[in-house]
Amino acid sequence: MLRTLKEAILGFTRAKTMSLFAILVTGFSLLVLGLFYLALLNLNTLIRYLENKVEIVAYLRDNADQSEVGLALEDLSRLEGVSQVRYMSKQEALDNFRADLGPDSDLLQDLETNPVPASFNINMKEGYRDTLHVQRVAERAQAFSFVEEVDYGRDWLRRMDIFKHMVSVVGLSAGALLGLVSIILISSAVKIAIFSRRKEIFIMKIVGATNWYIRRSFLLEGFLKGALGGLLAAGLIFAATTVFNDRVIPITNFSDRYYLYTVLAGGLLGLAGSWISLGRYLRRV
Amino acid sequence: MIGFRDVSAGYRRTRVLERLSFHIEKGEFVFLTGPSGSGKSTLLKLIYHELKPLSGEVIVADFSSNRLPRRKVPYLRRKLGVVFQDFALLENRTAGENIAYALEVTGASRTFIRRRVSRVLEQLGLADKEKCFPNELSGGEQQRVAIARALVGEPFILIADEPTGNLDPAISLDILRLMIEINTLGTAVLLATHNYGLLKGREDFRRLHLSSGRLVFDGPNGNFAPSAPPAEI
Repeated sequence: MLRTLKEAILGFTRAKTMSLFAILVTGFSLLVLGLFYLALLNLNTLIRYLENKVEIVAYLRDNADQSEVGLALEDLSRLEGVSQVRYMSKQEALDNFRADLGPDSDLLQDLETNPVPASFNINMKEGYRDTLHVQRVAERAQAFSFVEEVDYGRDWLRRMDIFKHMVSVVGLSAGALLGLVSIILISSAVKIAIFSRRKEIFIMKIVGATNWYIRRSFLLEGFLKGALGGLLAAGLIFAATTVFNDRVIPITNFSDRYYLYTVLAGGLLGLAGSWISLGRYLRRV
Repeated sequence: MIGFRDVSAGYRRTRVLERLSFHIEKGEFVFLTGPSGSGKSTLLKLIYHELKPLSGEVIVADFSSNRLPRRKVPYLRRKLGVVFQDFALLENRTAGENIAYALEVTGASRTFIRRRVSRVLEQLGLADKEKCFPNELSGGEQQRVAIARALVGEPFILIADEPTGNLDPAISLDILRLMIEINTLGTAVLLATHNYGLLKGREDFRRLHLSSGRLVFDGPNGNFAPSAPPAEI
């Protein structure tokens, strides 16, 4: 094992330019992939933040029977996707309205009756904050005779749906394309590195090295180079997010685990690239 | 020890060797001659199994080309020593490391490798070159290192493919003398060359001569005539 490690490290120094090339290509590819994933992660945070604002408000008529209201509240609470239904009385609503108006609340002082309706404020669970589910709950609320009007920001919700769909479609396809390009780039870099050492492989074979002996030092070398590329990418992503957080706006960062994954992904790509490229030379002689 | 039985060989669509049969016995010194393209290198490749025969059988020690799985090929190669025209040395390793390499791949112990390497370096007059890199050595010295690497595993035969092709005449003769010396210690030698100057004065040596992929002469060098009839198959 020690000899294999020595061989792998020697391999670095033997083809310095090629090794550096493979490390840089792996690093760059993983950097682009990482930044892309980071952008998606932040878009998703933004989507979740916006979704939190989804609320269905059902305004009640003033003459609503309190026992019926109670039953309706229970009924709505049981609907699929509903996380919470809160009843807001006329007085509470007026108080809120007043608070919202702030210094202008004097305007309401001359009112003889309370014009603000009572309401059900319905919140949805995560994963149910889309047009389909929200509309179903809104329609159910509207069906009660004492409900005057239901408001849930229909147009806004629809635009939100389209945005989410676009993010997932564009994200997935661009991610897959980037991944594919990275794999092609990394395996080409490894292939070139191995091609530059075909004489060495030939010599190894001629003096009686088994395929496994040759393979393991190249594989370890491929893994180490890939992992170094991954480390480079992880370092750059960390630096970029730190600078962005400090100088621009706070964003969602990768957890520590992701940095480890980036290094591991680099290592595995290097390993796979070496395995595939080596096969051809090992079969030949 | 080495046997060719009715062997034909080639690459894809070209047939390079046609129905070759001969034997090389333990401790023999054999010249393999023939013009460029006559199939000398192909014949050597069949011995170290870089190439499989299209028909016939190549026997090397206990290994037969007809019953040799790919994973066993390295073990066959460890019984041979191979030397090339371009020396085939690893540029970033010293002479000593290049030689040791042939034993490292077999999994030999460090002590054994150190002992064997210094003995071979001594034997080939390279003791003071152990720490030199190939580019610090002359052509002749590089070829000596390559021969040392071929010998370090104590092969039963040394196979040399145009070993003097890149060397001037005086150094070429030195290399030949070295090989003859190695042969007197019991290692068989098969030396492929088209440098016929090397054969001058070596009338008793066995010579195999190839012409257009056929073995046209197999006998003492002194009996060789360019228009010799094909050897009996």
